[in-house]
Amino acid sequence: MGVFSEGVEVHCSLGGEPLNLRWSGRDYVLAAESVRWFERRDWWAQENRAEVGRGAGLVDSEIWRVQAQADGVGPLLTFELSKHCGSGRWRILRLYDALSHSA
Amino acid sequence: MSFIHLHVATAFSAHYGVSWPDELAAAAAADGADALACTDRDGLYGTVKHLKACMDAKIDPIVGVDLAVLEYDDVASAGAQGLVGQATAGQAATGASIPNNTRGVLREHGRVVVLARGGNGGAGYRALCRLISDAHAHGGPRAIVGVTLEQLASRSLDPSTAQPVLTTLLGPSSDVGRAMGGQRYLLPRRLMQKWCAVMPAGTLVAELVSHLSAPGQELSTASAVRMFRLAQEQGLPSVLSNAVRYCSQDGAATADVLDSARTLEPLCALSGSVASLRKGSSKGNRNSGSGARERLQPNGQGWLKSSEQMYAVGQEIMHAAGEGRAGLGRLIANTEELADRCRIDPVTDMGWKQPTVPEATVLGIEQEPFMELRQRCEAGINWRFPGVSGAAERVVRARLEHELGIISRLGFSAYFLTVSEVSRMITDLGIRSAARGSGASSLVNYLIGISAVDPIRHDLIFERFLSNDRSTLPDIDIDVESAERHNIYHRIFERFGPQRVTLMSMQNGYRARGAVRDAGLALGMAEGDIDAVAKQLWRFSARNFREALEEKPELREFADRVEQGHLHPEAQLDLLVDLTERLDRLPRHISMHPCGVILGDATLLDRTPVQPSGLDLPMSQFDKHDMDPMGMLKLDVLGVRMQSAMAYAVREVIRLHPSKAAVVAAGNHPVDEHGDGPDYIDEDGRIDLNQVPLDDEPTYELIRSTYTLGCFQIESPGQRELIGKMAPRDFNDLIIDISLFRPGPMKSNMVKPFLESRHGFATEVYPHPRLKAALAETHGVTVFHEQVLRVFDEMTGCGLAKADVFRRALGNETQEPMVEAYFRRTAKGRGFPLDVIDQVWETLKAFGSFGFCKAHGAAFAVPTYQSAWLKAHHPEAFLAGLWEHDPGMYPRRLLVAEARRMGIPILPVDINHSTGEYRVERVTTGLDAGPDAGSDAGKLGIRMSLAGIYGLSAAELKRLVAGQPYDSLADVRARAKPTRATLKRLAQLGAFDALHRMVKERDGVQGSRADLVAHLQALPARSGARKNDPIDGQLSLPLGDLELRNLRGNLPEPSVTEKVRTELDLLSLDVSGHLMDSYAPLLAELGVTRADQLLGLRSNTEVLVAGVRIATQTPPMRGGRRVVFISIDDGTGCIDATFFHEAQERSGPLLFGTRMLLIRGLTRRTGPRGISLQALEAWDLSTVNHSNAANQLNVVNHSNLEGSPIPRRTISATPEEKSITVVGSAPQSPESTTPSTSWSSRSLISHP
Repeated sequence: MGVFSEGVEVHCSLGGEPLNLRWSGRDYVLAAESVRWFERRDWWAQENRAEVGRGAGLVDSEIWRVQAQADGVGPLLTFELSKHCGSGRWRILRLYDALSHSA
Repeated sequence: MSFIHLHVATAFSAHYGVSWPDELAAAAAADGADALACTDRDGLYGTVKHLKACMDAKIDPIVGVDLAVLEYDDVASAGAQGLVGQATAGQAATGASIPNNTRGVLREHGRVVVLARGGNGGAGYRALCRLISDAHAHGGPRAIVGVTLEQLASRSLDPSTAQPVLTTLLGPSSDVGRAMGGQRYLLPRRLMQKWCAVMPAGTLVAELVSHLSAPGQELSTASAVRMFRLAQEQGLPSVLSNAVRYCSQDGAATADVLDSARTLEPLCALSGSVASLRKGSSKGNRNSGSGARERLQPNGQGWLKSSEQMYAVGQEIMHAAGEGRAGLGRLIANTEELADRCRIDPVTDMGWKQPTVPEATVLGIEQEPFMELRQRCEAGINWRFPGVSGAAERVVRARLEHELGIISRLGFSAYFLTVSEVSRMITDLGIRSAARGSGASSLVNYLIGISAVDPIRHDLIFERFLSNDRSTLPDIDIDVESAERHNIYHRIFERFGPQRVTLMSMQNGYRARGAVRDAGLALGMAEGDIDAVAKQLWRFSARNFREALEEKPELREFADRVEQGHLHPEAQLDLLVDLTERLDRLPRHISMHPCGVILGDATLLDRTPVQPSGLDLPMSQFDKHDMDPMGMLKLDVLGVRMQSAMAYAVREVIRLHPSKAAVVAAGNHPVDEHGDGPDYIDEDGRIDLNQVPLDDEPTYELIRSTYTLGCFQIESPGQRELIGKMAPRDFNDLIIDISLFRPGPMKSNMVKPFLESRHGFATEVYPHPRLKAALAETHGVTVFHEQVLRVFDEMTGCGLAKADVFRRALGNETQEPMVEAYFRRTAKGRGFPLDVIDQVWETLKAFGSFGFCKAHGAAFAVPTYQSAWLKAHHPEAFLAGLWEHDPGMYPRRLLVAEARRMGIPILPVDINHSTGEYRVERVTTGLDAGPDAGSDAGKLGIRMSLAGIYGLSAAELKRLVAGQPYDSLADVRARAKPTRATLKRLAQLGAFDALHRMVKERDGVQGSRADLVAHLQALPARSGARKNDPIDGQLSLPLGDLELRNLRGNLPEPSVTEKVRTELDLLSLDVSGHLMDSYAPLLAELGVTRADQLLGLRSNTEVLVAGVRIATQTPPMRGGRRVVFISIDDGTGCIDATFFHEAQERSGPLLFGTRMLLIRGLTRRTGPRGISLQALEAWDLSTVNHSNAANQLNVVNHSNLEGSPIPRRTISATPEEKSITVVGSAPQSPESTTPSTSWSSRSLISHP
């Protein structure tokens, strides 16, 4: 398992559910039902400001655990993706079984 | 699609909820919901506001509470967990902390939401009130709050019909919900079964909440699913909620900060995925009963989600539970069904706006209340207007009929009788009291003894108090001696019965200082750093913190640090500012209101929950804003220290002059042709202050002299300036003076034209001849509410009652335009020209709701006059009363300076003459008098009290006084048994000097006060064993004071400066001399001007003054820019310095923190007897070094100008600054414009 914090391009359904991602020059297609939750951030340590009216995304980040295959054929990888509620940008937080497969 | 939220905490859940009821109700309504619940923690603190917000948003209110559930835990196991002594059964009764042997220790086992059912004639609301009162009845104010399962179950059914009236929501915070964590299966089921077994059928539902947190965490979908399955298993219906703490996502961060403030832990200690149990946290826990699970919410999903979002959450839970759309349908239907059962009708369920007063029988009235009131008023005519007849009587009777008519129509007779009963009770206790407020407008109040002001004589309008158009219970406030207030509360409870009386509470919200402290705590900043910031915050609301940083000079240094914080990532000052703003105004806790007592009938406790107050009496959870909506009769019994001080002064006068003749002679009171004194002095010397005529010339002379320190309402710098300008001649002038000194008149510039017309500098101008009658008493300037009413009435013919409604609408955004349209239309119809209408409307508009009710002014003016009367005739007794009760805005030491100025001897602490009170005493020349008593012999002086001595306990004080007189030090030690420290302090203060002098005289020995202190210091810590004490009844040999006789004279007597320092340390008073005396050489070197010299200077003279800070004020100002008033005292009088913007800039942090000030400024003549100072710059006097003072001053000055020295002469008042003065600027005489060179800045700069 590897721990990342790396930008990733994610394409979503209209309902906001990830469908496929593009990472390290390869396309990954989601292969199973995803799990979504919200996690708190230590915003007081990560942010310089917390002004009134800042809105969503200060306290929460949206986390998706998805399983995907490179180009729809490779081994099934489990990604934990985080979506910043304010900017909508995606990052990869964790990649399970990454080491064994990338070896 | 709509969704009704059943679990919502408002901001009134202190240290928990974030959003205000009106925000929440508006958001719910905007989302299409037709109802919304308010379930604050531990009480109905936000409920009445919620009702109003829902009515405004046109949705139905739902009312409930979020309560802890308590259980009696086994003592042994509780002890093992270190939780013994949180609260125990029977603790309240016995005061013992030993657990009740049969039941054990009360501990929290989760929290539940309890909703009142509606539409049942108040049965649900009644049960809710009683349940909450139960929750607060486990002991004193600090006891654990919550209900046992049994209490909850028994309140859930109506006692008379046995129908369900409460519904309990078993959610994620309940013991069942909390037991879900981990992989436990049996525990949650067992707990759920217990609930189902105890709670009556139909009173329990399961509450499903998912904040979409990570699987396995609390508030996750998986937990909600488990709750759903358990409920299904037990046949309980499930409802959906979001356990709301904030209106929108933005509030989540605020909720985090509140969690930190509640638990007194920084955010970083509360976060993290592992629950950090902090048993026995050394800092304690504000919510002591909440158990050990305090940590931050798992994420920020607890907002008032839209119906769409809530359906999605419900869908997610049902999907995960394997239920299809039908499952979601049932969940939503259950939620709606429960909401429907709990819709509250504000009127039929909660008695919205239905006034309730004590039953006639309680008042001891047999007949119909109105008949009783009429009879009492009739009797009052003979009492208040003896011998009235003819036209005067017709005026009184017409007014009485008018008032009684309105009172009768509103059905308020019992209200007046109730207040009259309380008022009579206070008088019978022999306690001074005075009605204040608009109640003084009522002749009925005057006739039945509630008020002491004759409304006919002072031309007061009843409609300002009560009218057919104003159906809420009127306010009558009673000022009483502050020292007797609690006693009066207890008597009221006894008189009306505890079921009919409760104290009112008040909400205490975050202000800047508290907010910055808690924000700093949340960020984990060092306490010292936070303190340094907090100390500089001075009366502005936290929401404008960032704005204040840019503007306020005293925050400049802090602002620079915030700026630099960007360069140092560890600094969190920017965040500190943001979090402080987030906390602004949020309620922190409730406390006993300083004066409100709620009186009701026998159902009062069905209509308000009560909890313990700091006093030994219950307090309602409702505050003053909730009184009118809930139809509650609130009586303000206000403790006024001045009333205590005056009562004390009157008692001192009797004690010193125990006969009428003696009082008349001492007070220089007028006598008739037979040499008899006035009627208001009894034969035994008692003065009835309320009977003193209001036209005593020496009193007005004193007021005009502006030496009004200590007088009620007219002692502040601004008031002394106004009095100097206005020179009041009679009681009506005093009323006007008090009414003018308000934010409204000052903001709308009423003061200047009034003064100019009054002194004949300008001709009186009336907008229209027909308005002259209304405005003549204030020379055409609108000052009083009463005048606004008359102007409205004259110009529109609307009648005084409507006029008062219009007056209230002024300044209201939505109503004012309608009033304006009506005013213009009807005034035109009644023949007023357009320009007059324009002009008058502008005045009325500017007046807004700010002006002052003349009735208030009249009621206030009575104690003002009485205090000035006492100061004019019995200054020693009056000052003694002031010191004893400390009523004013100034520290006691300033009044000591005032006594010194008035030539009243201040007598030092003396072991045989001082008591626990400040007493007036005739100065004698005997041995026990002071060393310099000679010149004061025969005068009345004031003896310092022992009570003011630092560290002297109440028990010691009692023993010391009981043992008087003492003949020796040994005698003091043997009989009063003071601690060693106290004995030494007494010696330091010279309390033994008189004893010592006698020994010295008789035996010719030497020895100083310093020798005595050194001797006491050198004594062994413990004196001999008890067995050596003389047994009771055994007389010690009359040896005289061997101890004092044997003192050797080694040390010199302490200097006056040393004595003053000791007195300031131990008494906070400078008795022997003035604090400033020791600075005399320095001040002389600097060429400082004394306060008593200022009056002789021309206006605009540049001077240096110095003194001790006695008051700092930042009153509201016309033009919006802050002005700071600092008053200093230099021993010869007060100097009031005004700091405008530029001077504030130059003085920076000195403005608020410094005690000894040196100020450079320009004199400003404010009237025949008034002069004040416009400050240019200030320094800290204590850091100005003696040897090269002038140079230092120079350096300080330049560095404050940030390296760009500006020649001093160019620093002068800008025109803007000149025009903004406290109460409008007085006309300047032409010769005063040339600056004098009495103190030249050049000489200071060139000083070596």
